[in-house]
Amino acid sequence: MVHEEMDDFEQELKQALQRRPAPPSLKRRVMERRVQRRSPSQMVWMRLAATLLIVALLGGGLRWGMEQREERRKGEEAKRQVMVALRITGRALNQVNTRLAAHDRGGE
Amino acid sequence: MAHDWQPDLEQLLDEHQSMVFSLALRMTGDRGLAEEVAQDVFLELDSHKGKMKSPDHARFWLRQVAVNRSTDALRRRKVRGVDLWVELEDGHASRAEERLSPVSTRLEHLLTTLPEAQRAALILRYQEDMLPEEIAAALDAPVATVKSHLQRGLKLLRSKATNHLREFIRGA
Repeated sequence: MVHEEMDDFEQELKQALQRRPAPPSLKRRVMERRVQRRSPSQMVWMRLAATLLIVALLGGGLRWGMEQREERRKGEEAKRQVMVALRITGRALNQVNTRLAAHDRGGE
Repeated sequence: MAHDWQPDLEQLLDEHQSMVFSLALRMTGDRGLAEEVAQDVFLELDSHKGKMKSPDHARFWLRQVAVNRSTDALRRRKVRGVDLWVELEDGHASRAEERLSPVSTRLEHLLTTLPEAQRAALILRYQEDMLPEEIAAALDAPVATVKSHLQRGLKLLRSKATNHLREFIRGA
């Protein structure tokens, strides 16, 4: 149908559907909106940068907190190990003391 | 694939503003809405400039997006309950409109009463002189569907035109 020659009605329709000139303001408005749109895009970048900074600060703070906790945990662990060592040493000294006392009593 | 063509928005506006505006105008039937749609289409083109491979690709893209955005605008309007098809001839009528014969003017009005898919196919066929295969690519529809829309749309428009012109002649 479409490849066939157009009849009078189709010719009339083609005539009716000739392109209309765009309003003279169209180009100006597009160019204006394009400029306006660039400013919000800069805002978007600034917001993105601010968001990234906040995320970095929060991340840094979180990491610092975790490192502090880890340090504290290691300190507690070292303290516990020293206490265990001291307890063992105290017990050994007591045993030595007891044996020396027994030896002294045997010698008298 | 790399392409050398660098689209320039101002140049594309000069070349295609009439095409985009006319497509939007025939699809929406409203000059104000058509101008808004045309502006949006060119701004969208500006955002997608990097994807344009050639002048032909840009023209194809503009036609496709103009029809799609017009349809979107109509649907948004329908949701808001605004009456359509009221402003094809208004105070801003151009010289081209004034030059149109009464029959052409009526045909243009009647076209706006057709279903969207038929209207889009007819506009691309008779305003843009596109083949059914090209229309199918632009509307992302099978060629057979486009041919059917063209046939049905033309038949419906012919019948509406016959009735209206009979009234027009009686009223004259």
